[in-house]
Amino acid sequence: MAPIINDFTLNIATANGTGSQSANLILLQSIFEMGIEVSGKNLFPSNISGLPTWYIIRVSDQGYQAPGNRVDLQVLVNPATWEEDLAALEPGTVVVWNSDGKMPMEREDVISYPIPMNSLARKLNPKLAKLVSNIIYVGALAEILGIENEALESAVMKQFKGKASAIELNTSALSLGREYFIENLSKQDNYVLEPRERKQERFFIEGNEATALGCIFGGVQMLSWYPITPSSSLAESIIAYVPKLRLNSEGEPTVAIIQSEDELAAAGMVIGAGWAGARGMTATSGPGISLMQEFIGLAYFAEVPSVFWDVNRVGPSTGLPTRTQQSDIQILYEGSHGDTQHIVLIPGTVEECFEFGWKAFDVAERYQTPVFGLSDLDLGMNRWSCAGFDYPDQPMDRGKVIRDKDVFEAFEDFGRYKDFDGDGIPYRTLPGSGMDPILYRGTGHNEKGKYSEKPEDYLYLMNRLRQKITNARNDLPAPILRQEDECEIGIIYLGSMENSIQEIDDILESTGMKVSQCRVRALPLHGEVEAFIERHEMVIVLEINRDGQLYAIIRKEIPNHLVPKVHSVAYSDGMPPRGKIYAEKILKKIEEVRL
Amino acid sequence: MTEKVVKLNVINEPKESYTGGPSSLCPGCGHDQISTVIINAAWENGIEPHRIAKMSGIGCSSKTPAYYLGQSHGFNTVHGRMPSVTTGANAVHPDLLYLGVSGDGDSASIGIGQLIHAIRRNLDMVYIVENNGVYGLTKGQYSATADIGSQKKKGKVNKTQPIDLCALAVNLGCTFVARSFSGSKSQLTSLIKAAMSHKGFALIDVISPCVTFNNNDESMKSYGYVKDNEITLHMADYIPHFNPVPEVEVPEGHYRDITLHDGSVIRLETISEEHDPGNAVAALSALHQAEQEKKHVTGLLYFNPNKESFTEELNLPLKALIHHSDDELRPTKAQLDAINQALLG
Repeated sequence: MAPIINDFTLNIATANGTGSQSANLILLQSIFEMGIEVSGKNLFPSNISGLPTWYIIRVSDQGYQAPGNRVDLQVLVNPATWEEDLAALEPGTVVVWNSDGKMPMEREDVISYPIPMNSLARKLNPKLAKLVSNIIYVGALAEILGIENEALESAVMKQFKGKASAIELNTSALSLGREYFIENLSKQDNYVLEPRERKQERFFIEGNEATALGCIFGGVQMLSWYPITPSSSLAESIIAYVPKLRLNSEGEPTVAIIQSEDELAAAGMVIGAGWAGARGMTATSGPGISLMQEFIGLAYFAEVPSVFWDVNRVGPSTGLPTRTQQSDIQILYEGSHGDTQHIVLIPGTVEECFEFGWKAFDVAERYQTPVFGLSDLDLGMNRWSCAGFDYPDQPMDRGKVIRDKDVFEAFEDFGRYKDFDGDGIPYRTLPGSGMDPILYRGTGHNEKGKYSEKPEDYLYLMNRLRQKITNARNDLPAPILRQEDECEIGIIYLGSMENSIQEIDDILESTGMKVSQCRVRALPLHGEVEAFIERHEMVIVLEINRDGQLYAIIRKEIPNHLVPKVHSVAYSDGMPPRGKIYAEKILKKIEEVRL
Repeated sequence: MTEKVVKLNVINEPKESYTGGPSSLCPGCGHDQISTVIINAAWENGIEPHRIAKMSGIGCSSKTPAYYLGQSHGFNTVHGRMPSVTTGANAVHPDLLYLGVSGDGDSASIGIGQLIHAIRRNLDMVYIVENNGVYGLTKGQYSATADIGSQKKKGKVNKTQPIDLCALAVNLGCTFVARSFSGSKSQLTSLIKAAMSHKGFALIDVISPCVTFNNNDESMKSYGYVKDNEITLHMADYIPHFNPVPEVEVPEGHYRDITLHDGSVIRLETISEEHDPGNAVAALSALHQAEQEKKHVTGLLYFNPNKESFTEELNLPLKALIHHSDDELRPTKAQLDAINQALLG
């Protein structure tokens, strides 16, 4: 039997709150330590303890990061999902199962490795047996797959960061699992891990932590937030980095952090900070964005710089709070009542989470408008490989703020909402400066900020606002293009779909077609997107939702003659995207169109 | 002809530096009287106009910031959400005097959550409720402060339990709670001046009759009713920190001097029974008794100078965050390199 090297999907079924998360992260990290391309996705319930949870590890020399088409190795620990998980397996799957679990192994067509996880764990430490039993399967898997002890040890060190007793206990448990396998079982499968040489040192980091660091380096001055999955860890990461990065010489923080009473208040605080002249932000998810709608319109209309991070989860309503989706695209782009249009920055990698984290403030202050960061649960709460973060390559852009009386007096007939430069962006003065004191308002206003219902004042304002945001499009992060010479099929996609696109592309190209890609990184759409559509015979807009929200935006904004060649493939079942499902949907769509 | 002498305040500003645009409210509206008191209080207290930030929500009352302090920045926000906008601004720029004006709809209904949390945080602001028991801009619906047994010009007698914002504030540990009446100019002026000298949340609930929808005799928030049914806890005089406290002729024990955070003093002269503003139970008792008797009790109900304000609790630098340079806000490249290195493990 030929070995299958560095190419499998491993699914681990445990119960929430049993310590399986740290066991799974040790497994993931130890494979990563071997230089192998690996990714992990945590499929967790909206629950603190007891409900089923799965962890999916994908190992792939091609760098595929989405869960594979089938489960190749299955760990069974949780009796609650035992039968269902077992029944779903293809013949020949490797099953590492807890033989102390009082659940039967009723499949004879799988490769079965029974491990008495509870009794081994009890032998080591009766009190902590429940936690330790998870580490036992990691030890057994290390033996089965060929994970070096050195990699395991390094992973344990990182997980427990110098806590000697935890390190010792877990290292012993790993050995117990490994030894049990050696003494009692023999390898019958052909999955093997082989170390690889990594060109560049890399580390694992969650998207939310990367965004948080970006915000810290963006000089955030006020963070208001209301806890909500999956964005809480973004705010909590900022809080965690403040002592290291944002204390002054007196040990006082240079950022105010306020846990608000709800998302409405969080949005209000961001706008208050922006109005006062500071860099304010909040982090939330779809339900919070829904609550913030009225304030978003105020920030747009009164032109207050403000930054909102949305870590998208499955909607509508409370939806599936712990699952991923790209379904807040339209509510961010066109949020609030009336005619509005907002700038949205859409990272697809952890490096971009960091970059857009600081950039969002520059864009918000330059355009004096709300700016949204659109991440999602998959990118935000899972660990991704990262080559390190680059220091901001531009100084902070604080926008057109008049801070000097001489500068102010040089303006002839100043007006807060007057377009002096022809770019739609007016100048502002700050409260406390004594210059041009006006009453900001969400009601209609003229160039001077005075209440007005006059048609000419309303039109001037609305047209200027449209011009201001439209002008931003080519100033925002340009799409990432991977283009074939043939320009046959073009795929436009966004955000965390980056993790699945290579696999999708390989499946599509295996049929002989030539496929180019364009990853949208900001709204309003960059001019390059239209040019990409123009060049290709057929364009598919690929996204993780039901209705094709990015497709709707593209359709609305491209010239009429391009519309017929753009088609939507939108799909979301609550699971992290799997390459094969999306590739098949694209193939079906192409077939339909060609008929 | 002699030249008219322009009166200046302690920082040499004429009163014109504190006035605003013309009011568009109904003639005789209680809110316009309050605007006049705000102008006088700010002028007489000698606060630099650019140091004041005028905050409001939505409603008749929330329109008034356009009618006073034309040389101060302001923000007429969205309905019921002025506290959160003020919180964000205050966190980054605590040196400004935040002067909020709201109404009973804005504060007791749509905005009650934000009001409650601003009080909990002891946000450093003056929060004036112009309370008339009805929604004016939408033409006279009852608000949540309408008294039981009160009847507006058009409509049935109100039977729904009102929310007493002062009682609510006392229960939430608000550090300055007062009730007044737009017709009691002298008391209101002293209270607003004192609130401006207070560090922390100062709530002043001002009964401010709606001349169009709720000023009939059957209304318990009409001019006539309030005049006849006001219980004044004490005479209130404000002595600014830049004036020496005068000797008084009131016998010892008949007045109480309360020193405010900027050194100014509010002198409360006993009228009948002495009220101790340091006693929350006494404040609640006065409020409940007045409610039972269908009266309105006015004066400084509760005061606590010993609670940390919102920004003090955040332990922020003395220099306001908005005055920090970009270099002070963005960590260095060496710090990022160290983070990258630490993440590599």
